[in-house]
Amino acid sequence: MLPKDDVLRQDADKGTDDSADKGVESGPGSGTDRAGLRGKWPALLLQDRFAFAAAIVLLLVALCAVLGPLLIGDLATRQNLRDPGRPPFSLDDGWAYVLGSDSLGRPVAARLIAAAGTTLSVAVPAVLVSLVVGSVWGMWAGFHGGWRENVSLRIADVILSFPSLLLAVVVLYVFSPSAANIVLVLAVARIPVYLRTARAEAAELRSRLFIDAARTFGTSGWATIRRHVAPSVLPTLLTVAALDFCFVMLTESSLSFLGIGIQPPDVSWGLMVAQGRQELQSSWWIAVFPGLAIVITTVSATVLAAWARLSTDPGQRWRQGLRRGGRRPGRRRPSTGGTSALRGTATATPGTTAEPAPSPEVTRAEPTTSVPPSTRPATLAVDDLSVDIRTPAGPLPVVHGVSFDVRSGETLALLGESGCGKSMTAHAVAGLLDPAAEVVGGQARLEGEDQLTLGPRARRRLAGPGLAIVFQDALSALNPVHTVGAQLAEPFRIHERMSRRAARAKAVELMERVGIPEARSRVDAYPHQFSGGMRQRLLIAMAVALRPKVLLADEPTTALDVTVQAQIMDLLRELRSEQQMALVLITHDLGLVAGHADRVAVMYAGTVVETGPVSEVFAKPNHPYTRGLLESVPAEQHKGSRLSSIPGGPPDPRAVPSGCAFRTRCPMARDVCATHRPTLAGTGADRAAACHFGKELADA
Amino acid sequence: MFTMLRRRAVSSVIPLLVVVLGVFFLARLTGDPANLYLPLSATPEMRAEFAARNGLDDPLLAQFGDYLGQVVHLDFGESLRTAQPAGEAVLRAFPATLQLAGWTMLLAILGAVLIGSMAAYRPNSATDRFASFLSSTAASVPDFWFAIMGVLVFAVTLGWLPTSGTSGAAAWVLPVVTLLIRPFGVLVQVVRGAMVSALSAPYVKVARSKGASESRVVFGHALRNAAAPALTVAGDLAVGLVNGAVVVETIFGWPGIGKLMIDSVLQRDFAVLQAAVLLTALVIFALNILVDICHALLDPRVRQQAAA
Repeated sequence: MLPKDDVLRQDADKGTDDSADKGVESGPGSGTDRAGLRGKWPALLLQDRFAFAAAIVLLLVALCAVLGPLLIGDLATRQNLRDPGRPPFSLDDGWAYVLGSDSLGRPVAARLIAAAGTTLSVAVPAVLVSLVVGSVWGMWAGFHGGWRENVSLRIADVILSFPSLLLAVVVLYVFSPSAANIVLVLAVARIPVYLRTARAEAAELRSRLFIDAARTFGTSGWATIRRHVAPSVLPTLLTVAALDFCFVMLTESSLSFLGIGIQPPDVSWGLMVAQGRQELQSSWWIAVFPGLAIVITTVSATVLAAWARLSTDPGQRWRQGLRRGGRRPGRRRPSTGGTSALRGTATATPGTTAEPAPSPEVTRAEPTTSVPPSTRPATLAVDDLSVDIRTPAGPLPVVHGVSFDVRSGETLALLGESGCGKSMTAHAVAGLLDPAAEVVGGQARLEGEDQLTLGPRARRRLAGPGLAIVFQDALSALNPVHTVGAQLAEPFRIHERMSRRAARAKAVELMERVGIPEARSRVDAYPHQFSGGMRQRLLIAMAVALRPKVLLADEPTTALDVTVQAQIMDLLRELRSEQQMALVLITHDLGLVAGHADRVAVMYAGTVVETGPVSEVFAKPNHPYTRGLLESVPAEQHKGSRLSSIPGGPPDPRAVPSGCAFRTRCPMARDVCATHRPTLAGTGADRAAACHFGKELADA
Repeated sequence: MFTMLRRRAVSSVIPLLVVVLGVFFLARLTGDPANLYLPLSATPEMRAEFAARNGLDDPLLAQFGDYLGQVVHLDFGESLRTAQPAGEAVLRAFPATLQLAGWTMLLAILGAVLIGSMAAYRPNSATDRFASFLSSTAASVPDFWFAIMGVLVFAVTLGWLPTSGTSGAAAWVLPVVTLLIRPFGVLVQVVRGAMVSALSAPYVKVARSKGASESRVVFGHALRNAAAPALTVAGDLAVGLVNGAVVVETIFGWPGIGKLMIDSVLQRDFAVLQAAVLLTALVIFALNILVDICHALLDPRVRQQAAA
């Protein structure tokens, strides 16, 4: 009955972009926060209005249950035949009658309070018993596996395959309907739910290394379960328990309503509804208020369960907050050249205020327009592009002031470590950013037309024939439930309104073109039936179907082994010259850049730090970061010298150093680097570097 | 495909047997039907005669053996109440419940797919929050109370709908809506969750990069991937409808199998209860297989696993 937890998990925005993932990993949720959660939960609860209200409601119900008998004495059961059927909302006879009275003159409000006690005295023990028995059993079964697991699951299946209400009805007929028996029946009916959940989690843990380690040390089974399995499984189980509380309460009230649950003179909310049903025409309030009590209590428990799930899962909490904070704070900021180069960290540090904003040094020198190497106009010109990710703590700049351009028949490599914003840049250009990310400035002109200001319809028209993208992970980029033929035919169906048959023929043609053997017979196969390399070919075929002017290839070979990698790169190169495409190759692989790109733009911490023709940049880097990268690769020309690596790691996007983002790792850093952010400036013909000493490096 | 179905059938036989066994013995523990069907002044001879006539004097195991033998020949015994064959009584009541449950599930699934997809399209938007409020409330409302409130407002106060009966479309409104709210509420949440993760999958980006319209992205690409978890939960909810049917049929006087079962328990009418439970178990069994087939139709990977 209960929705599977993994299904309900409001799993959103699995950031496909590497920098988005980076943000999640280092986001405010991980590690330290989880440890601190225990002390902080009241504060967290206060932040969420709904959860807070729900907690108050449940607290009130619990108080009624505990203090009820003291408050109302025997008011709930004492008949008062002078006063039957009093309507509600009158205070003439004191607070007890504020919700009216029933046909025996008993005040509804007092009965509601008394019923809260009965309801909780059934629901709470039932939930506790099934939680304890089910989870211990489930952990035991999942931890050991084998026949214990099988038998346990079969038993759970049997119990669950029988409608629980009917089971309760039959059992309660056998053993008179007392509160204790109701608890027992409900507990038995719900044990399988915990058993399954706990087993699944424990079985998953069983395969982990730390459990193996514990076994190796000779720790006994139960001790391992208690120390390692239980703490990981418990949060999930508690959430299930909160939802189960609702179920148990509803079942108890259904049973009482049917006359086989709580028996008079005891009183429960379900029983009150049943009694009120007899007098529905004359006194509606008798049935209405207990029902409302059930609804409010169960809704509160549901809300609190949802909140608990969010706050025990750091990633979830982060995403949720991100969306909440994400009500498009600034829309698109108009691009104003120099200022965007100073955004974020630069404005936060006092040192940079010394920087004269409109000075010519600050206005970014565009690598290819200021030093034009070629007279051909750029097919795609990205200019001063900036992207923010919305976080609870405010917008986080992940791409700032990125500019590059690429001509038809040319390959530009966007080179950088993962998390440097290169994928984010490509996705922004293609208009495929996750909802949490937003373009806040800049342009991306495809043959002169800015893609970023196009309406969705115009953009869709260009998606395919204008700009196409090849994704990194071909398995998840192909839709698993459609045949590859249907997916390859889709561009033709959408853009050229081709018939199904004609589009299919085109799909076969494409498959043959990208080198898939027996294309005709495999056109109706599904993505999972192809190998990794073949899937990547399919993805490329799909992207080049409509002969795009620009092809963005986002790490197209990362998931592949070396020989297949080379084949894919050759295919891309062939297609590029055949179709006269402009190819943007996004990669972290220096070898690919050296072998396959004409020009390179090196990215670091969300900006381009150096551009130029690959041969020149690799022969003589003009930026210390590029130099560091090249020195860390074992190569012929370094033979004999020490292989070095860049100390430290790329900066956290939330804490990029002031001034130059690379200065903390840079061997050449000086005072000026901390106060002034270097901008991309020409260092030679068709070359540029964002370093205060770019010229020096170039001339050295 | 057939391998999968056969495996499923074999693994379902044991639960099915256990259910039949459990009901048989539990029902016999609920008390001696002679107390209910004979006058209080009945002599021991009369009781013995009653027991002998209904086969209640044999040892329990022998009774069970007889019962199994009869069931194999599709003979479910006679109703103690009406002296009619129990199988007939159950089959007569069955279509009413099947229709009620069928319409309920159909409407619940359609509504949940629509609202869940709308909510998932823009997570945490106003639409999403409204949908999640609506669905969590719907999943928490006790059905018997909702039914009574429906009667109070639409039958007693406004007089638009009848309080019971099965004739005319109007009579269907309250039972179907009452039965629907809980599965609907749960399904909206499931569909929403599955759609949110499907819509953030890379293949959705690929579809957008091909210039697919948003409706093509949502319904052509994402929905079919989100369907599998929703289908599993829908199957569980359909089983749970039996619970709801007991309550709804009792309140609205619907001549279905839920009411029949509750009445037979209350009246110690063993034969009818056993037949009804057996049929319900068979239907649940068939439903599970149907869900498996749908899974295979939706997802080629499941088909391949099934074939392997």
